[in-house]
Amino acid sequence: MPKTASDSPQGALDLLILKALSRGANHGFGISLLIEETSDGLIHLEEGSLYPALHRMERDGWLSGDWQQTPNGRRARFYALTSAGRKRLVEIEERWKNYSKGVSRVLRYV
Amino acid sequence: MMRRLKDWFRRNELDRSIEEEMASHVEMRAELNRNAGMDPDSAQRAARLRFGNPVSARERTRSVHLGEWFESIAQDVHYAVRQYRRDPLFTVTAVMTVMLGVGASSAVFSVVDRILFRDLPYPNGERLVSVGFSAPIEPAEFLLGADYVEWKRAKLPFDQFTSWRGTVDCDLTEASPQRLSCGEVEWNFVPALGIRPLIGRSFTAEEDLPGGPGAVMLTYAFWHARFHADPRVVGRGVSIDGVNSNIVGVLPKEFEMPTLNRVDVLVPQRLNPAGQRRPNTGAVLRGFARLRPGITPEMAQQQMQPLFAESLKFVPPAFRKEVKLVVHPLRARRTQEVRNASVMLFGAVLAVLLIACLNVANLLLARAASRRPEMAARAALGASRARLLRQNLTESLVLGMAGGMAGLGLAALLLRSLPGIAPEGLLHLANASLDWRVFAFALTCSIIAGVVSGLVPALEKPPTLAAAGRNRTAMRAPRFQHALISTQIALSLALLTGATLLLESLRNLEQQPLGFSRDHLALVHITLNRQRYAAAQQRLAFWESLEQTVATIPGVQSLAVSDSAPPAGRARSMIYSVIDVEGRPPIADGTGGMVVWRSVTPGYFTTLGTRIVQGRPFEAADRQPGSDVLIMDEQLAHRMFPQGDAVGKRVRPGRSGPWRTVVGVVSANSNAGLTGKSDPEYYLARPRNQDAGLFESYVLVRSATGSESLSRSIRSAVALRDAEQPVEIESMDQRIANLADRPRFNAVLLTGFACAGLLLAAVGLYGVTGFLVSQRQREICIRMAVGASRSRMLLMVLERTWRWTAVGLLAGLAAAWWMNHALVSLLFGVKPGDPVVYLGASLAVLLLATLAALLPSVRAARSDPARTLRQE
Repeated sequence: MPKTASDSPQGALDLLILKALSRGANHGFGISLLIEETSDGLIHLEEGSLYPALHRMERDGWLSGDWQQTPNGRRARFYALTSAGRKRLVEIEERWKNYSKGVSRVLRYV
Repeated sequence: MMRRLKDWFRRNELDRSIEEEMASHVEMRAELNRNAGMDPDSAQRAARLRFGNPVSARERTRSVHLGEWFESIAQDVHYAVRQYRRDPLFTVTAVMTVMLGVGASSAVFSVVDRILFRDLPYPNGERLVSVGFSAPIEPAEFLLGADYVEWKRAKLPFDQFTSWRGTVDCDLTEASPQRLSCGEVEWNFVPALGIRPLIGRSFTAEEDLPGGPGAVMLTYAFWHARFHADPRVVGRGVSIDGVNSNIVGVLPKEFEMPTLNRVDVLVPQRLNPAGQRRPNTGAVLRGFARLRPGITPEMAQQQMQPLFAESLKFVPPAFRKEVKLVVHPLRARRTQEVRNASVMLFGAVLAVLLIACLNVANLLLARAASRRPEMAARAALGASRARLLRQNLTESLVLGMAGGMAGLGLAALLLRSLPGIAPEGLLHLANASLDWRVFAFALTCSIIAGVVSGLVPALEKPPTLAAAGRNRTAMRAPRFQHALISTQIALSLALLTGATLLLESLRNLEQQPLGFSRDHLALVHITLNRQRYAAAQQRLAFWESLEQTVATIPGVQSLAVSDSAPPAGRARSMIYSVIDVEGRPPIADGTGGMVVWRSVTPGYFTTLGTRIVQGRPFEAADRQPGSDVLIMDEQLAHRMFPQGDAVGKRVRPGRSGPWRTVVGVVSANSNAGLTGKSDPEYYLARPRNQDAGLFESYVLVRSATGSESLSRSIRSAVALRDAEQPVEIESMDQRIANLADRPRFNAVLLTGFACAGLLLAAVGLYGVTGFLVSQRQREICIRMAVGASRSRMLLMVLERTWRWTAVGLLAGLAAAWWMNHALVSLLFGVKPGDPVVYLGASLAVLLLATLAALLPSVRAARSDPARTLRQE
């Protein structure tokens, strides 16, 4: 069963977004598409919930966003990692790995 | 914080941007779907489905920018408004209740603000005092010129000390002449009050000297009315009473005389220094001073005692004991007469506001009961108690604000209509307006109304979901409601007794016997122009011919000319102890109080309907020069000649002049207004010589009908003689009604408040009983189904309301007792503890309460038990 981001532990959505953006600036739809494809369809974001997160991270200075033209000639808001965002990505990626390591150990033994 | 605020204001822009961003997302997904071979419609639908709830996404995104706090408050408000829209009857009732409370209190506040709270319109006004003697002749502080001159030389606890003589009628004698009110002031009067002229300057010392250059300052209103606010007017000359004076300055708009007299212009008082030297007494002045910083009025009074003792030496021994030195804060001096009434009205209107708040609280309580399931659900879903409290408060604040805004409208309306019934002068109604202070007051009231009415229901613990879902009969009627109802009843009762007492006083005032008959009696007041009637002979001729002409008007039964007219207003008077009685030693001890006297033509007693008790009235012959007769009223005759043998005795008023023979004793007329204790009075025959050449007199005209046409005939009679002479005509009824203006205003307002309070309390009781009945409908039906009679059920409900009402009445009686004893200075001819008033008011409230409770109870008792139970 595909997981939606809101089912996943705290911070997962942030991590996914930051990771997706580490491959270059993208708009909200692009990010959700990227996550979907790279997770081989295992993660289906509830796409609407992307935006509060994007705006929050922009507010907190991890992302910068501005309106640009897509290759298809559509206007979309593109987000890019800031240096603070890059640092943050390293940080939560580390934390996530530890966390999921812990979770899999628990799953193995209990 | 600032950025959030900025975002808050840029809300629309932000909204558009978020919307566009999301729309573009959905579009891209739809395009992808189409490319994958879906038809456009399903492509769009699938894209939307993938996106999820767009409203929620938008809201959450927006809240990132606006901050949770703002957003959730906005949500609460939004939610509250939506709730209220769904229940228009409740909303309208609640908003109108708050409107009534806030509107009435704001209107009254704007009136009493200047009297009770607002700073005086002078810089450091709290340091201004009124300084002078107080004596039986003149209870309001006054100064004598000689003392004032002495005092000014001494070391005083004042920074500034100034005086004025009062207002006189004066005439603007140039093209389109105009009668003005001139304030005669010392040259330093305006600066001593701390007032700077708007343009020009104040008077100079030189202008205040007799024979100094003529100077005049204009008040703002007069400057506007007469000179169209032309700033070039300063330096121009105007002719006042025929004397050319220079306009030196214009007073600012806020300027008012410290005693609130109406003035058009100020002129220097120009005391003659020679006249202000002891043993002369000099002019009568009103003194005002600015206390040195740190000096209280009491300290100043203490420090001035030696000076006062010195002045007292020049006071005739007869007066000494009765003369006091007074240093009175200016605010107290200005408001002494209206302070009590203002406090009473303000207190009463706050009581109405409180009743209104309690009413809304009650309505909200009832509503809260019906919303228990909702609240329980919210609590179960994790809303904290604080969160629910906030929701409650937001809702009631929304109500409060809506009501407050409507209330300001009501206040504006009231203020526009109040001056119609309000007395002139001291109440400041002309100045009362909705300024920022009133707005602030109304805002405060609205917030208080919101918090008070919202807090009470919010204090109830949110029920558990299970409890809320249970059968409704399990629910108890909220305990608070009883207390609220009882409080409302108590307040309404207190208001009602107060209003009844004031109405009773008003009736007593208007109907008290004045000693003369007041029907069909017209008073013609004429003040002759000082230039055109400069010679006494001209004035005498005017009055003589006027008397003759008016006598020929059809319908006139009798008439008299007098220098003054009862029952109030300026009349000449002297102290009792200077009236010598032939064959008795002069009275040396005390003044004996005041004795009023008038100079009247023989028709005076007939015209007023004053009874001749002994002797005879005046005759035409008594007006001849050299006549020396006098008529006393009973009060004076009793006092001076207790044996009742006044007629034939000889007296000499004022210790000088001829001895006068008492030829008659007449019944006493009121001469101290409606409330004052009348002074004894005597009459002289208005002599037909130069002494009768008064500038100002009254013609009293008794007619058969007292119609409008009489006034017209009198006016044309005057115009025939002098077309430019202004005439004031009023009926005695009007004059008496005018004297009762202030008590009427108080009574009308308090009655209005009492009615509003009662109405609100009744609505509250109606609502609560209705709620109670609906809660117990099931119980009532079961009881009726097993055989209880309708009347028994009715009684069951009524018994409860009677219990609340009884508690309220008891508390109300105590409150009323206390309040009405504070009202005592406003009452006339009625005791503050009059049991009839309390009993009547209690019965009225009880009756109203029963009616309010009866309506919903009857409805409940009439319902068909079977049907109701089935519905349950």
